[in-house]
Amino acid sequence: MAGEIHIPTLAPEVVTQIGNINITNTMINAWLAIIIFLILGIAVKRSVKLRPGKLQNTCEFFLESVLGYFDQVTGSRKKTIKFLPVVGSIFFFVLLSNWLGLLPGTGSITNGHTMVLRPANTDLNLTVAMALVSVIASHIYAFAAVGIFTHLGKFVQIKNLILSFKKGPIAVFSAVIEFGVGLIEIVSEIAKVLSLSLRLFGNVFAGEVLISVISALIAAFVPTPFMLLELLVGLIQAAVFAMLTIVYMTVASSAPHGAEEH
Amino acid sequence: MSNEVENTHIEETAVETHEEVVDTHGASTGDESVAASLGLNGQLFAFQLLNFAIVAVIIWFLILKPLTKTLEERKKLIDESLDKAKEVDSNLQMAEIKFQERIDDAKSEASKVISKVQEEGVELTEKMKEKAQKEIELVVDQAKRNIKIEKEEMMTELREETANLVVAAVEKILEEKLDDKKDAELIKGTISKLGK
Repeated sequence: MAGEIHIPTLAPEVVTQIGNINITNTMINAWLAIIIFLILGIAVKRSVKLRPGKLQNTCEFFLESVLGYFDQVTGSRKKTIKFLPVVGSIFFFVLLSNWLGLLPGTGSITNGHTMVLRPANTDLNLTVAMALVSVIASHIYAFAAVGIFTHLGKFVQIKNLILSFKKGPIAVFSAVIEFGVGLIEIVSEIAKVLSLSLRLFGNVFAGEVLISVISALIAAFVPTPFMLLELLVGLIQAAVFAMLTIVYMTVASSAPHGAEEH
Repeated sequence: MSNEVENTHIEETAVETHEEVVDTHGASTGDESVAASLGLNGQLFAFQLLNFAIVAVIIWFLILKPLTKTLEERKKLIDESLDKAKEVDSNLQMAEIKFQERIDDAKSEASKVISKVQEEGVELTEKMKEKAQKEIELVVDQAKRNIKIEKEEMMTELREETANLVVAAVEKILEEKLDDKKDAELIKGTISKLGK
């Protein structure tokens, strides 16, 4: 009934090598997404006008829907547009990469024992890269919005500690606590990268393993509900990653006034 | 039994593939093995970062930026159109108010003119009536005077005729019995009686 079950490994598999460069199956999937976005982008760029055609209308529908959700976090369309280059790119890339993993051929086309196609987000390198971009971008936006020293002051509160010695023991005590909180904030920034990258990686990888196993056990009909579920998971994970990114950016670019949410 | 065999086969395949990957990436000892087992690799990370950067550039410059710009332009255009429509509407309302004001002014002007004309008409009628009355009175006076004159003339003529008739009648009756003197006295006496 079932053939050989090929469970994806945690690490992406090397399909081929160009010189010293390893080409992995997740990179091929990412390139596929790049090509699709490039074709779509050229078509949109050429056809964009005030009276939209079918393609522009469809793209605008998706964009307006996403912008509506982002606006709820940022509180204004102006801020959303400011964060959109990073957040929008993350959302649409993660979404397309996740959905590309559901296309026929992913997991089934092989080169020897290696799968040629595999969802790009089952590669921790990519999810870590995106998480780093997300967190670093939030700090860049914060520097631009509140100033470098004000933003750094959220993490390293030495100034308050020094000034507190003149105010008495209670002030020193609270300044020490604030200093400690600042250090915890630094840890939380690292935790953001870990949580963003591992959440996306874990969910997409788990889905890929699930579909691989189900497909290997019973090839017809049974995997379909799981694939539909993965369609939903792909959307949810893209939304979660993008929403958390925009939350980080919004919080980081707001002036410090006490406790921050993460 | 067959399930156990299948599971063992799955585990073996996974372990083999895992080892393959670890060997390929050349990370096999200590802490590096943890990162390598998760697939973290400097070279791959750099390439995936580059891939994401390319995607971000494509998505932003070819899709999101033109679309957001167009959306913004369209919003601006719609806002301007709505503002213009409001302006046109307010202008129309103002024009209607002015039109109504002018209509009201014209109506009041017309009613003033009508009332003035009516007053003038009444005045003119009164004048005409007075004039007609005077003319009538004048005509009546004239007629009365004419009638009086004619009456006097007629009376005079009548007296003369009567006198002549009397003279003629008396001459016929008393032809030869009266002389001129008596005749004259008789005539005078008769005329004086007639005058009374």
